[in-house]
Amino acid sequence: MSKKVLMLSVAVLFGMQAGLAMAANPDTGPGCGLGKLAWSDFSHQKNIAPQVLMATTNGTFGSQTFGISTGTSGCSNDGKVWADQKTTMFAQLNFENLSQEMAQGQGEHLASLATLMGVPAEQHATFFAMTQERYTSLVKAGETSPVAMVKAINDAIATHPFLAQVSTR
Amino acid sequence: MLRIRSLPRFQLANNQLGASRLNSKPRVFPTRRLYIILLLFMLLLAPPSLVGAGEPPEKVYLAELIDKSLQAKLASEREWHLLLHYREDLFGGYTSEQDDPGFFMSPAGKTNPQAELDATLKQFFSDELVGRSKQPAQCAFIARYTWLKQRLAFDDTRLPPMVCERFDRWFADFEAQSITLIFPSAFLNNPASMFGHTLLRVDQRGQTDSTRILAYTINYAADVPPDAGLAYPIRGIFGGYRGYFSTIPYYLKVREYRDIENRDIWEYRLNFTEQQVKRLLMHAWELGNALFDYYFFKENCSYHLLALLDYADPTLHLTDEFLLWTVPADTVRLIASKPGLVSGIAYRPSRSNVIRRKRESLPSEEREIAHRLTKDVGELKSPALNRLEPAQQIFLLDLASDYLRYRIDTTDEPPPELKERNLAILAARSGIRLPSGEFRVEPFAKQPELGHRTSRISVGAGWRNNSVFEEQTIRAGYHDLLDPEIGYTPNAQIEIASVTMRTYNRYDQTRLERVTLANVVSLSPMDSVFHAPSWKINAGMNTIRFGGCQLCSNMVLNGGIGGAVESHWFKREVFFAFAEAEANYSQAYDENHRVGGGGTTGLLTDLTDRWRLMASGTYLRYPLGDKSDDFRWFIGQRFTLLQNLAIRLEYNHRDHDNDVMFSMQAYF
Repeated sequence: MSKKVLMLSVAVLFGMQAGLAMAANPDTGPGCGLGKLAWSDFSHQKNIAPQVLMATTNGTFGSQTFGISTGTSGCSNDGKVWADQKTTMFAQLNFENLSQEMAQGQGEHLASLATLMGVPAEQHATFFAMTQERYTSLVKAGETSPVAMVKAINDAIATHPFLAQVSTR
Repeated sequence: MLRIRSLPRFQLANNQLGASRLNSKPRVFPTRRLYIILLLFMLLLAPPSLVGAGEPPEKVYLAELIDKSLQAKLASEREWHLLLHYREDLFGGYTSEQDDPGFFMSPAGKTNPQAELDATLKQFFSDELVGRSKQPAQCAFIARYTWLKQRLAFDDTRLPPMVCERFDRWFADFEAQSITLIFPSAFLNNPASMFGHTLLRVDQRGQTDSTRILAYTINYAADVPPDAGLAYPIRGIFGGYRGYFSTIPYYLKVREYRDIENRDIWEYRLNFTEQQVKRLLMHAWELGNALFDYYFFKENCSYHLLALLDYADPTLHLTDEFLLWTVPADTVRLIASKPGLVSGIAYRPSRSNVIRRKRESLPSEEREIAHRLTKDVGELKSPALNRLEPAQQIFLLDLASDYLRYRIDTTDEPPPELKERNLAILAARSGIRLPSGEFRVEPFAKQPELGHRTSRISVGAGWRNNSVFEEQTIRAGYHDLLDPEIGYTPNAQIEIASVTMRTYNRYDQTRLERVTLANVVSLSPMDSVFHAPSWKINAGMNTIRFGGCQLCSNMVLNGGIGGAVESHWFKREVFFAFAEAEANYSQAYDENHRVGGGGTTGLLTDLTDRWRLMASGTYLRYPLGDKSDDFRWFIGQRFTLLQNLAIRLEYNHRDHDNDVMFSMQAYF
């Protein structure tokens, strides 16, 4: 079980680093170079876990200490998720909960995703119904990558006769 | 450092001389001459940069500020001690609990509040990057800056404020409105989590019950390498690890505790003003610069969070209440006991408890359908499922998915079929175009502050083999199977550091009767869904009657693994059985020891809400050392009088050894 927790912290670290890397340096330069790897390989956490461990030899692994500048790698880390990565990171780290709640047509993870995507609270029920209806295709997209799932949901919002007009993002 | 401290003294001397000059009008010249000579003398002695007309204006202002802070005695104010985590030591001095030199601006800062204050003021004039976070001091230690600025009324033109962009961004990102104390309950299968954990959640403006998982948390934890193994308990207890603060989104904490470790979570919303929330976050930002040596029993997660809360509201005095150890449940109890501090309590059940309660609510044939769904997706097409109302189908499909996710999340290498089955069930579920209804989960363990306190003292009297005795026991922590269970993880026992003295009247002897180093029992009732084993481990010493020895000290090391089942025939009964191994060391034995194995079976039952009964029988055979065997049985009853008071009647039998005792337990 503790292995699971470890994997989870790996995921966090990844998310953080990936988010930072992409925001600070979209081409993922050498210092923050975990970004690309993390996004593309996320479904195989176990394979990349050792690489993360190697990459974080400064001993702060698993404790994303805030107020700390890594200094050497050119990316600073105050322990926060970069704003433009919030949605993807949330989708990435909660994929299992999200797919369950999409099928069930409700849930706090789904409501939180809707909020991050700019769907006002009073339209959440419509959003839930929409993701339930498209469950199969959304999950299929999510299995390729969380980015693809977020994009698919965004597209679905954009073409939705009603949600397209109320969504704020 | 000395240079700075010399400044105010210099000024004081200066003023005194000036005063004497004014008061002695008739002899103006000699005094003035003396004054000038003295000044020249001091010019020679004092570092040139600090004195004279050429002195930079910031030095002058710094000297003024230090002077002012000395007059106001700021370095001995509680606020300063909270900011620097100073604790008064045995000799009346002060030592900071902070262990990172970068947290202090003065090399003597860990033990010298005044030196630290002077150095801090000096550093505020500089844009040099300090601390682990590499920021100017005004930003790295923004709570210190804010407080000193307010108390000393900094003149912005003479000490220009710096822009703290990193802090501003960090702070704005919280959208902080209030603070919630989070208590994930005890988790016996990981020694680090045995007593539960606490963390803070920074609730966002406009957050609702369904979006609170998006809030950030403030979490303090030891940085333990993943392969720590046996080193973990040793280093954890003696401060061998470093503890850091981190801000992990709450959804990840929920995933960790609720989904993976299956621990109930209690959330206590705290009644802090906006100003107090800001204070807390400013100080948390400073602690991002910090590390503390992590001590499992005292300076642990809970302790350092209390320090943060104390800073947010200095009238709380939370850390002062803990001297030797800080048990997370005690900190929750303390916070809940402060009038008006907690404005609301929310419960977030673990996934395993959701499954248990959902199953309990079902008639057995539907429970069977859900169970079959988890084994074979062919069941999706079964008439048994499809003839049910849609709402009931939804309920069963959701339960099946919960269970499969439970299996996936608690297995290290989950077989791929589990995921495939879950996907098939969810696909079928999404075909019923209705949202799942709310299901209210009643907790199995009430919230921790309703439980007994964690330390215990007992007095008892009884008979042992025709001798009357009286005994006194003191136990550091925490809970045993007969203690009142409210607020504690059911069927779990953790006893740490317990000592019993007993006086036998017949032998006119007072002796150390029992010592428990650790005695841990975890009973996990099994059913068709949950299969976790039960286990126990005990290390300590007791007093035996063996062979020719009437009362002999006996070292015990015992461990066992087994299973438990629960029934509800009467009220609630838990039956358990263990296979176990035991090693004894005592002068009563041939070769002074014996090693063997055997088994225990027993029953734990609540006869009423206050009255609990436990009975067990054990047979052990020792083929090594003193070849012997042992048959024991035990019956104990407890009756709860008050939240922190209970009585017991216990009977212990071993070969030729009978012991009956009546006792009273008070928890403190």
